[in-house]
Amino acid sequence: MSDDAPIANISLESITEGSNPRGIPHTKFIEDIESFANSFNPPASPELLIGAYSDLYSKFKQYESQLSLKRANFEAKLPEIEKSIKLVQHLKSKKEADENVITRYNLADMIYAKAEVDCSQGIVNLWLGANVMLEYSYDEALDLLISKETLAKKEFGEITEDLTFTRNQIITSEVNISRIYNWDVRRKRSAAASS
Amino acid sequence: MPEANSEGMILTKDEENDAEVRREDQDKINEFGQLNARLHEVRAQSKELKELLEKIDDASTELMMGSGSTVMLCLGDALFESTEEDATEFCEAEVERHQAALDGLDSEEGEILERMAGLKKVLYGRFGKSINLEEK
Repeated sequence: MSDDAPIANISLESITEGSNPRGIPHTKFIEDIESFANSFNPPASPELLIGAYSDLYSKFKQYESQLSLKRANFEAKLPEIEKSIKLVQHLKSKKEADENVITRYNLADMIYAKAEVDCSQGIVNLWLGANVMLEYSYDEALDLLISKETLAKKEFGEITEDLTFTRNQIITSEVNISRIYNWDVRRKRSAAASS
Repeated sequence: MPEANSEGMILTKDEENDAEVRREDQDKINEFGQLNARLHEVRAQSKELKELLEKIDDASTELMMGSGSTVMLCLGDALFESTEEDATEFCEAEVERHQAALDGLDSEEGEILERMAGLKKVLYGRFGKSINLEEK
Protein backbone atom coordinates (compact mmCIF):
# COMPACT_ATOMS: atom_id res chain seq x y z
CA MET A 1 0.00 0.00 0.00
CA SER A 2 2.83 2.34 0.82
CA ASP A 3 4.86 1.40 -2.22
CA ASP A 4 2.95 3.57 -4.70
CA ALA A 5 5.27 5.50 -6.96
CA PRO A 6 4.35 9.12 -6.01
CA ILE A 7 5.02 8.53 -2.31
CA ALA A 8 8.28 6.71 -2.75
CA ASN A 9 9.79 7.86 0.52
CA ILE A 10 6.61 8.64 2.47
CA SER A 11 5.17 5.54 4.03
CA LEU A 12 1.55 5.18 5.03
CA GLU A 13 2.68 5.07 8.65
CA SER A 14 4.18 8.54 8.47
CA ILE A 15 0.94 10.22 7.36
CA THR A 16 -1.37 8.25 9.61
CA GLU A 17 -1.35 7.61 13.34
CA GLY A 18 -3.05 4.62 14.92
CA SER A 19 -6.38 3.24 13.81
CA ASN A 20 -9.95 2.82 15.04
CA PRO A 21 -11.21 -0.46 16.65
CA ARG A 22 -11.75 -2.00 13.22
CA GLY A 23 -8.37 -1.13 11.83
CA ILE A 24 -9.16 1.97 9.77
CA PRO A 25 -6.08 4.21 9.88
CA HIS A 26 -6.31 7.63 11.46
CA THR A 27 -5.05 10.49 9.31
CA LYS A 28 -2.25 12.35 11.01
CA PHE A 29 -3.03 15.96 11.71
CA ILE A 30 -0.01 18.09 10.88
CA GLU A 31 0.72 20.52 13.70
CA ASP A 32 3.48 22.36 11.93
CA ILE A 33 3.94 21.75 8.22
CA GLU A 34 7.48 23.06 8.05
CA SER A 35 8.84 20.73 10.71
CA PHE A 36 6.70 17.89 9.38
CA ALA A 37 8.25 18.25 5.93
CA ASN A 38 11.72 18.41 7.49
CA SER A 39 11.11 15.25 9.50
CA PHE A 40 11.73 13.30 6.31
CA ASN A 41 15.17 12.55 5.07
CA PRO A 42 15.72 14.23 2.65
CA PRO A 43 13.01 16.85 3.55
CA ALA A 44 9.79 16.09 1.66
CA SER A 45 8.78 18.50 -1.08
CA PRO A 46 5.24 19.98 -0.98
CA GLU A 47 4.43 18.06 -4.17
CA LEU A 48 5.45 14.82 -2.52
CA LEU A 49 3.43 15.55 0.61
CA ILE A 50 0.38 16.59 -1.36
CA GLY A 51 0.76 13.45 -3.46
CA ALA A 52 0.90 11.28 -0.37
CA TYR A 53 -2.18 12.86 1.15
CA SER A 54 -4.11 12.74 -2.15
CA ASP A 55 -3.32 9.06 -2.30
CA LEU A 56 -4.59 8.55 1.21
CA TYR A 57 -7.62 10.66 0.36
CA SER A 58 -8.61 8.51 -2.60
CA LYS A 59 -8.15 5.34 -0.58
CA PHE A 60 -10.49 6.71 2.06
CA LYS A 61 -12.94 7.79 -0.62
CA GLN A 62 -13.00 4.30 -2.02
CA TYR A 63 -13.51 2.84 1.41
CA GLU A 64 -16.28 5.32 2.05
CA SER A 65 -18.27 4.13 -0.94
CA GLN A 66 -17.77 0.49 0.10
CA LEU A 67 -19.10 1.28 3.56
CA SER A 68 -22.05 3.25 2.19
CA LEU A 69 -23.02 0.24 0.11
CA LYS A 70 -22.75 -2.08 3.08
CA ARG A 71 -24.81 0.29 5.14
CA ALA A 72 -27.52 0.49 2.49
CA ASN A 73 -27.72 -3.33 2.54
CA PHE A 74 -28.35 -3.29 6.24
CA GLU A 75 -30.88 -0.53 5.86
CA ALA A 76 -32.82 -2.82 3.53
CA LYS A 77 -32.36 -5.90 5.72
CA LEU A 78 -33.59 -4.44 8.99
CA PRO A 79 -37.18 -3.72 7.86
CA GLU A 80 -37.34 -7.28 6.48
CA ILE A 81 -36.60 -8.74 9.90
CA GLU A 82 -39.00 -6.30 11.50
CA LYS A 83 -41.72 -7.44 9.09
CA SER A 84 -41.17 -11.07 10.03
CA ILE A 85 -41.31 -10.25 13.72
CA LYS A 86 -44.61 -8.46 13.30
CA LEU A 87 -46.08 -11.36 11.40
CA VAL A 88 -45.12 -13.93 14.01
CA GLN A 89 -46.46 -11.65 16.72
CA HIS A 90 -49.74 -11.45 14.85
CA LEU A 91 -49.95 -15.25 14.63
CA LYS A 92 -49.13 -15.54 18.31
CA SER A 93 -51.84 -13.08 19.33
CA LYS A 94 -54.32 -15.01 17.21
CA LYS A 95 -53.32 -18.21 18.94
CA GLU A 96 -53.81 -16.61 22.32
CA ALA A 97 -57.23 -15.39 21.24
CA ASP A 98 -58.00 -18.93 20.07
CA GLU A 99 -58.70 -17.76 16.55
CA ASN A 100 -57.59 -19.02 13.19
CA VAL A 101 -56.05 -16.81 10.57
CA ILE A 102 -57.41 -16.53 7.09
CA THR A 103 -54.80 -15.22 4.72
CA ARG A 104 -54.05 -14.54 1.08
CA TYR A 105 -50.48 -15.50 0.52
CA ASN A 106 -48.25 -14.98 -2.42
CA LEU A 107 -48.27 -18.23 -4.41
CA ALA A 108 -46.31 -16.94 -7.36
CA ASP A 109 -45.81 -13.54 -8.91
CA MET A 110 -49.19 -11.81 -9.16
CA ILE A 111 -51.05 -14.83 -7.77
CA TYR A 112 -52.43 -14.93 -4.26
CA ALA A 113 -54.00 -18.04 -2.76
CA LYS A 114 -56.37 -18.24 0.18
CA ALA A 115 -55.42 -20.31 3.18
CA GLU A 116 -56.66 -20.86 6.65
CA VAL A 117 -53.88 -21.22 9.18
CA ASP A 118 -54.53 -23.35 12.23
CA CYS A 119 -52.90 -21.18 14.88
CA SER A 120 -53.59 -23.61 17.70
CA GLN A 121 -50.67 -25.69 16.40
CA GLY A 122 -48.39 -22.78 17.21
CA ILE A 123 -46.00 -23.60 14.40
CA VAL A 124 -44.26 -21.30 12.00
CA ASN A 125 -41.52 -22.02 9.47
CA LEU A 126 -38.63 -19.66 9.10
CA TRP A 127 -36.61 -19.38 5.94
CA LEU A 128 -33.01 -19.40 7.09
CA GLY A 129 -31.39 -18.97 3.71
CA ALA A 130 -29.19 -21.45 1.84
CA ASN A 131 -32.36 -23.34 0.84
CA VAL A 132 -33.13 -24.26 4.42
CA MET A 133 -36.41 -23.78 6.20
CA LEU A 134 -36.95 -24.79 9.81
CA GLU A 135 -40.01 -25.30 11.93
CA TYR A 136 -40.29 -23.23 15.11
CA SER A 137 -42.82 -22.56 17.81
CA TYR A 138 -43.98 -18.93 17.88
CA ASP A 139 -41.86 -18.07 20.90
CA GLU A 140 -38.75 -19.73 19.50
CA ALA A 141 -39.25 -17.95 16.21
CA LEU A 142 -39.62 -14.61 17.96
CA ASP A 143 -36.47 -15.25 20.01
CA LEU A 144 -34.51 -16.09 16.89
CA LEU A 145 -35.80 -13.13 14.90
CA ILE A 146 -35.25 -10.67 17.71
CA SER A 147 -31.68 -11.89 18.26
CA LYS A 148 -31.09 -11.54 14.51
CA GLU A 149 -32.49 -8.03 14.64
CA THR A 150 -30.29 -7.08 17.60
CA LEU A 151 -27.22 -8.38 15.81
CA ALA A 152 -28.09 -6.58 12.60
CA LYS A 153 -28.67 -3.35 14.54
CA LYS A 154 -25.32 -3.70 16.25
CA GLU A 155 -23.51 -4.24 12.96
CA PHE A 156 -25.42 -1.37 11.44
CA GLY A 157 -24.24 0.84 14.28
CA GLU A 158 -20.64 -0.23 13.77
CA ILE A 159 -20.78 0.47 10.06
CA THR A 160 -22.29 3.88 10.73
CA GLU A 161 -19.49 4.59 13.19
CA ASP A 162 -16.86 3.50 10.67
CA LEU A 163 -18.46 5.64 8.01
CA THR A 164 -18.38 8.70 10.24
CA PHE A 165 -14.78 7.94 11.12
CA THR A 166 -13.81 7.51 7.46
CA ARG A 167 -15.50 10.79 6.53
CA ASN A 168 -13.52 12.54 9.26
CA GLN A 169 -10.31 11.15 7.80
CA ILE A 170 -11.36 12.38 4.36
CA ILE A 171 -11.93 15.89 5.68
CA THR A 172 -8.64 15.88 7.61
CA SER A 173 -6.79 14.78 4.47
CA GLU A 174 -8.46 17.49 2.41
CA VAL A 175 -7.61 20.17 4.94
CA ASN A 176 -4.03 18.91 5.12
CA ILE A 177 -3.70 19.08 1.35
CA SER A 178 -4.91 22.66 1.13
CA ARG A 179 -2.76 23.67 4.12
CA ILE A 180 0.36 22.20 2.52
CA TYR A 181 -0.51 23.99 -0.71
CA ASN A 182 -0.95 27.35 1.02
CA TRP A 183 2.17 26.83 3.08
CA ASP A 184 4.09 26.27 -0.14
CA VAL A 185 2.59 29.45 -1.66
CA ARG A 186 3.65 31.52 1.34
CA ARG A 187 7.09 29.96 1.41
CA LYS A 188 7.74 30.65 -2.26
CA ARG A 189 6.46 34.19 -1.87
CA SER A 190 8.78 35.00 1.02
CA ALA A 191 11.67 33.35 -0.85
CA ALA A 192 10.95 35.62 -3.83
CA ALA A 193 10.70 38.70 -1.60
CA SER A 194 14.06 38.10 0.06
CA SER A 195 15.98 37.41 -3.15
CA MET B 1 0.75 32.33 -6.89
CA PRO B 2 -2.33 33.04 -4.73
CA GLU B 3 -3.67 30.94 -1.89
CA ALA B 4 -6.73 28.79 -2.36
CA ASN B 5 -9.60 28.04 0.02
CA SER B 6 -11.04 24.69 1.01
CA GLU B 7 -13.06 24.52 -2.19
CA GLY B 8 -10.03 25.04 -4.36
CA MET B 9 -11.23 28.55 -5.16
CA ILE B 10 -8.49 31.06 -5.69
CA LEU B 11 -8.47 33.90 -3.19
CA THR B 12 -7.52 37.49 -3.75
CA LYS B 13 -4.70 38.85 -1.67
CA ASP B 14 -6.89 40.58 0.95
CA GLU B 15 -9.11 37.53 1.29
CA GLU B 16 -6.15 35.49 2.44
CA ASN B 17 -6.06 34.54 6.04
CA ASP B 18 -2.98 33.75 8.05
CA ALA B 19 -4.78 31.86 10.79
CA GLU B 20 -3.14 28.48 11.22
CA VAL B 21 -5.38 25.44 11.40
CA ARG B 22 -4.96 24.11 14.91
CA ARG B 23 -6.01 20.66 15.99
CA GLU B 24 -9.10 22.04 17.70
CA ASP B 25 -10.03 23.79 14.45
CA GLN B 26 -9.61 20.54 12.57
CA ASP B 27 -11.84 18.81 15.11
CA LYS B 28 -14.46 21.50 14.61
CA ILE B 29 -14.27 21.16 10.84
CA ASN B 30 -14.68 17.39 11.16
CA GLU B 31 -17.61 17.80 13.49
CA PHE B 32 -19.23 20.17 11.04
CA GLY B 33 -18.84 17.61 8.26
CA GLN B 34 -20.34 14.91 10.46
CA LEU B 35 -23.31 17.04 11.40
CA ASN B 36 -23.92 17.94 7.80
CA ALA B 37 -23.93 14.27 6.75
CA ARG B 38 -26.29 13.40 9.61
CA LEU B 39 -28.55 16.32 8.71
CA HIS B 40 -29.07 14.88 5.23
CA GLU B 41 -29.85 11.46 6.67
CA VAL B 42 -32.30 12.85 9.19
CA ARG B 43 -34.10 14.85 6.53
CA ALA B 44 -34.35 11.86 4.19
CA GLN B 45 -35.69 9.65 6.97
CA SER B 46 -38.20 12.17 8.17
CA LYS B 47 -39.46 12.64 4.61
CA GLU B 48 -39.94 8.89 4.30
CA LEU B 49 -41.77 8.71 7.60
CA LYS B 50 -44.06 11.57 6.65
CA GLU B 51 -45.04 9.77 3.47
CA LEU B 52 -45.65 6.58 5.41
CA LEU B 53 -47.80 8.41 7.94
CA GLU B 54 -49.86 9.91 5.15
CA LYS B 55 -50.47 6.45 3.72
CA ILE B 56 -51.57 5.09 7.08
CA ASP B 57 -53.79 8.13 7.50
CA ASP B 58 -55.42 7.40 4.13
CA ALA B 59 -55.98 3.82 5.21
CA SER B 60 -57.58 4.95 8.47
CA THR B 61 -59.92 7.26 6.59
CA GLU B 62 -60.96 4.43 4.30
CA LEU B 63 -61.59 2.23 7.32
CA MET B 64 -63.81 4.83 8.91
CA MET B 65 -65.99 4.92 5.82
CA GLY B 66 -66.11 1.14 5.70
CA SER B 67 -69.24 -0.95 6.02
CA GLY B 68 -68.18 -3.23 8.84
CA SER B 69 -67.16 -6.14 6.68
CA THR B 70 -63.77 -7.84 6.86
CA VAL B 71 -60.76 -6.11 5.36
CA MET B 72 -57.37 -7.43 4.26
CA LEU B 73 -54.47 -6.37 6.40
CA CYS B 74 -51.02 -6.59 4.91
CA LEU B 75 -48.39 -7.94 7.27
CA GLY B 76 -45.04 -8.96 5.92
CA ASP B 77 -45.62 -10.41 2.47
CA ALA B 78 -49.07 -11.82 3.10
CA LEU B 79 -52.55 -10.41 3.52
CA PHE B 80 -54.70 -11.32 6.48
CA GLU B 81 -58.44 -11.14 6.87
CA SER B 82 -59.23 -8.91 9.75
CA THR B 83 -62.12 -6.99 11.22
CA GLU B 84 -62.32 -3.26 10.70
CA GLU B 85 -61.84 -2.66 14.41
CA ASP B 86 -58.63 -4.67 14.47
CA ALA B 87 -57.35 -2.93 11.38
CA THR B 88 -58.13 0.49 12.85
CA GLU B 89 -56.35 -0.46 16.03
CA PHE B 90 -53.38 -1.64 14.00
CA CYS B 91 -53.27 1.65 12.10
CA GLU B 92 -53.45 3.68 15.29
CA ALA B 93 -50.58 1.75 16.83
CA GLU B 94 -48.51 2.25 13.68
CA VAL B 95 -49.23 5.99 13.60
CA GLU B 96 -48.19 6.31 17.23
CA ARG B 97 -44.94 4.41 16.66
CA HIS B 98 -43.94 6.31 13.54
CA GLN B 99 -45.03 9.67 14.91
CA ALA B 100 -42.76 9.15 17.90
CA ALA B 101 -39.86 8.36 15.56
CA LEU B 102 -40.67 11.43 13.46
CA ASP B 103 -40.78 13.70 16.51
CA GLY B 104 -37.38 12.36 17.54
CA LEU B 105 -35.95 13.13 14.11
CA ASP B 106 -37.43 16.62 14.08
CA SER B 107 -35.88 17.56 17.39
CA GLU B 108 -32.56 16.04 16.28
CA GLU B 109 -32.68 18.20 13.15
CA GLY B 110 -33.18 21.27 15.32
CA GLU B 111 -30.21 20.36 17.50
CA ILE B 112 -27.98 19.71 14.49
CA LEU B 113 -28.88 23.03 12.87
CA GLU B 114 -28.20 24.90 16.08
CA ARG B 115 -24.80 23.25 16.56
CA MET B 116 -23.89 23.83 12.91
CA ALA B 117 -24.77 27.51 13.17
CA GLY B 118 -22.52 27.78 16.22
CA LEU B 119 -19.62 26.05 14.46
CA LYS B 120 -20.09 28.19 11.37
CA LYS B 121 -19.77 31.34 13.43
CA VAL B 122 -16.57 30.16 15.08
CA LEU B 123 -14.94 28.83 11.91
CA TYR B 124 -15.84 31.79 9.69
CA GLY B 125 -14.65 34.07 12.47
CA ARG B 126 -11.29 32.37 12.44
CA PHE B 127 -10.75 31.64 8.77
CA GLY B 128 -12.91 34.14 6.89
CA LYS B 129 -13.05 33.34 3.21
CA SER B 130 -10.33 30.70 3.50
CA ILE B 131 -13.02 28.23 4.42
CA ASN B 132 -16.28 27.37 2.72
CA LEU B 133 -19.00 25.73 4.76
CA GLU B 134 -21.88 26.22 2.37
CA GLU B 135 -23.70 23.46 0.52
CA LYS B 136 -22.36 23.09 -3.01
